[in-house]
Amino acid sequence: MFERFTEPARRVVVLAQEDARERAADRIGSEHLLLGLCRATDTRAAALLAARGVTRAVVEAELGAPGPDLPDRAALASVGIDLDEVRERVEDAFGPGALESTRAGRGRGRRWGHIPFDRGAKKVLELALREAIRRGDRSIGSEHVLLGMLHTETGRAMPLLAARGVTLARICAALDEPGAASG
Amino acid sequence: MADATAVAAAASSRDPATGLAAVASLRTLLESLEELQVRNARDQGWSWQAIAEGLSVSRQAVHKKYRRDIA
Repeated sequence: MFERFTEPARRVVVLAQEDARERAADRIGSEHLLLGLCRATDTRAAALLAARGVTRAVVEAELGAPGPDLPDRAALASVGIDLDEVRERVEDAFGPGALESTRAGRGRGRRWGHIPFDRGAKKVLELALREAIRRGDRSIGSEHVLLGMLHTETGRAMPLLAARGVTLARICAALDEPGAASG
Repeated sequence: MADATAVAAAASSRDPATGLAAVASLRTLLESLEELQVRNARDQGWSWQAIAEGLSVSRQAVHKKYRRDIA
């Protein structure tokens, strides 16, 4: 399914999976994909979102904190520890998902390995492909994932974006501006 | 990472909820890192005794804690 995704778009999906796992969600939803887009800060989609005030902090505030038994990013930040930095270093040494693979890291309700997409997230990915084809692009980039998210029946991401004025028409217009790079 | 002022405010907070949540999260993180390191040490052929010395705990403690999950 992901053969046609660009490297940044794949990273978005991996980050979405991480977020779903961290939040002990049993499915990856469009809201996790949106968090993935915001976290992959060097992508076209993240720039489009940030320019419209949609950042990781904003989306996380909407989604609420992870359960109390999970390592909480904000709680660790309060004593000067950057959980993302720790995770990155641990994954450099022990591979992706290393922290979550441990007993403590799994927490209550936390899952090993792969978490399936929910219906809305599947729809986002299908529509991302359709948007790429419609725009005549050969691969699926982060901006196509964002476009896919801006249709109805894709779950929690779209209303959150609509509330901040991020609509399909506006993002299409922004992408059609000269100098709009892929990624 | 939350912005610097928010972090500084939380760090200097005397609100027990903030402080206790930080300790709980640290403990979870500690447990994860310990398990990864113990597993890695065993994979590299370290004895339970050597691992216990590295962690400054007794051999019995570390063996009891991990023997079911780690060969």
